Amino acid sequence: MNRSFSWKTVILLSALAIFMIFYPKIVDSYFLHLTVATFLAMIMASSWDILARTGQVSVGQAGLFGVGAYTAALLYQRVHIPPVLGMLAGAILATVVAFFLGYLTLRLRGIYFAITTIAFAEALSVIWLMTPRITGGAMGVSTPPLFNGNREQAYYLILIILALVIFVVWLIESSRLNFAFTAIRENEEVANVMGINPTRYKVLAFLISAFFTGFAGGFYSHYNTYIIPYEVFGLGISIACLVMPIFGGLYTIAGPIIGTILIKAIEEYLRVTFSYGHQIAYGLILVVVVLFMPEGLLGLWKRKIFPLFKQPHRV
Amino acid sequence: MDWPSFFQSIANGILIAGLYAAVTLGLTLVLGVMGIVNFAHGEMVMLGAYSTFWLFSLLGIDPMLSIAMSGLILFFIGLPIYRFTIRPILKDPPLNQLLLTLGISIFLQNMAMMLWKTDSRSVITSYSGMSLHLEMVHIGLTRLITFMISVVLTVLLVFFLYKARLGRAMRAVSENNTASWLIGINVQKTYLLAFGVASGLAGASGALVSTIMYTFPMVGFKLSLKAFCILILGGLGNISGALFGSLILGLTESFVGTYVPEGSGWAEGISFILIMIILIIKPTGLAGTRRE
Repeated sequence: MNRSFSWKTVILLSALAIFMIFYPKIVDSYFLHLTVATFLAMIMASSWDILARTGQVSVGQAGLFGVGAYTAALLYQRVHIPPVLGMLAGAILATVVAFFLGYLTLRLRGIYFAITTIAFAEALSVIWLMTPRITGGAMGVSTPPLFNGNREQAYYLILIILALVIFVVWLIESSRLNFAFTAIRENEEVANVMGINPTRYKVLAFLISAFFTGFAGGFYSHYNTYIIPYEVFGLGISIACLVMPIFGGLYTIAGPIIGTILIKAIEEYLRVTFSYGHQIAYGLILVVVVLFMPEGLLGLWKRKIFPLFKQPHRV
Repeated sequence: MDWPSFFQSIANGILIAGLYAAVTLGLTLVLGVMGIVNFAHGEMVMLGAYSTFWLFSLLGIDPMLSIAMSGLILFFIGLPIYRFTIRPILKDPPLNQLLLTLGISIFLQNMAMMLWKTDSRSVITSYSGMSLHLEMVHIGLTRLITFMISVVLTVLLVFFLYKARLGRAMRAVSENNTASWLIGINVQKTYLLAFGVASGLAGASGALVSTIMYTFPMVGFKLSLKAFCILILGGLGNISGALFGSLILGLTESFVGTYVPEGSGWAEGISFILIMIILIIKPTGLAGTRRE
């Protein structure tokens, strides 16, 4: 992997950037709302994938998301801090929480870490419900609409953050971090022998992941104007964070993006059709991917469509 | 000291521990025999609770009688789940197994929401309100019956594993599946039946759950987490550990419920806090056995 761009990439990226900038002018308000929701999900999916690159599966991203969401909402409610600063504060607090959680639990192997992260999100949910004076409790917290309800501005904000996430993922992929993360994922003992401190890199990946997940939470609370513990700390958010990148294809830039677009489309369809249980698709997709397409959609694409040009290779 | 409330807490803790043990039995069996942490186990319990609820409210069958029926229904639901989803990933890395069973769990939760909405349902029988009064302690009749049935289920499982041919085969396979195959045990069939029995146990414990808790689509997930806490407390994959873990969790929740202000709400969080604390202090679980 190298950092130099070819002219073709530059032209494609600029075209995409221009399209994204004028995008709000060409779609209606409902579709713009869907796009904002999808971008938000992409941020969470890509953040989850950053941690997954070190071989750690978090099933508790909702914990970090909720910390970000509540920090932003409560700061606005108590001291009227500007929303964007509140989101930033949420992201920072989520990172701090992730530092302590990660430092203590990322020594744990796979399945123990996964169970601890679920316990973490659920524990926060209980704490939030039981301390209503500080947190608003089961009634939740509401804030006025973000940018006075101007969806275009919200769109640009989330677009910038998404671009930043993708840039960070690209930086990771094209730096030595990529080798460290991959080595830890493939074989932790060997990585350790080669002089890579697995816990340190895993914590680093977790911090990056937590920062953006926390920011996404802060954005969600202001954009949605209303949050309750059951939702922002709920299993649904943690599951969404992990199914989207797994569906698209792990350890890639495009995988989480493609996975998110498809899953959001399916979810929106189910949401309109059924009043309850529209996350059923997440469960089904998870089962199908693990059984039949472990490399996700991108893996299928590489294997089934391009086998003549390129042998599928594993990093 | 307020002795009545102290003894009452102990009694409540022990009674609820029986239910937790029943919920954890099947999870322990699958983990012990095939080394898989089945995230969908709680959802099997949830389906058992719903089947008991429907048998009760549509056909008027007493929940204590439908324990066997719920068990049988879930046994037959468990078989195809094993055959088509678990069996292909038996040799996969643990994280793939986790994601697969998590997927099944999410699927079943949402299926339950689609079919039965998110309402909390409860089974109220003619004897639901009755209770026994011993010296200082009140014991709900339903709770006492569920406790005794949990004990019976545990004893039956232990007898099955140590006396019955099939149960002994399960233990042999859990020790060493290649050697078991060499001496003529059909390993695949043993796995299949072990998963079926575990699902059946989940169904039976679901029947118990429906009588003393609300039945709703997420009830299984809540119980799964408690069961994980119990496994971590008691050591993975052995029944005595599961019983010990259930007792610790049941008593802790009960004491927090009694002595902490607004304790019943906080008690719900005990299992999560215990999971985190124990794994942070001792990454292999309290009893120290490790299965990957």
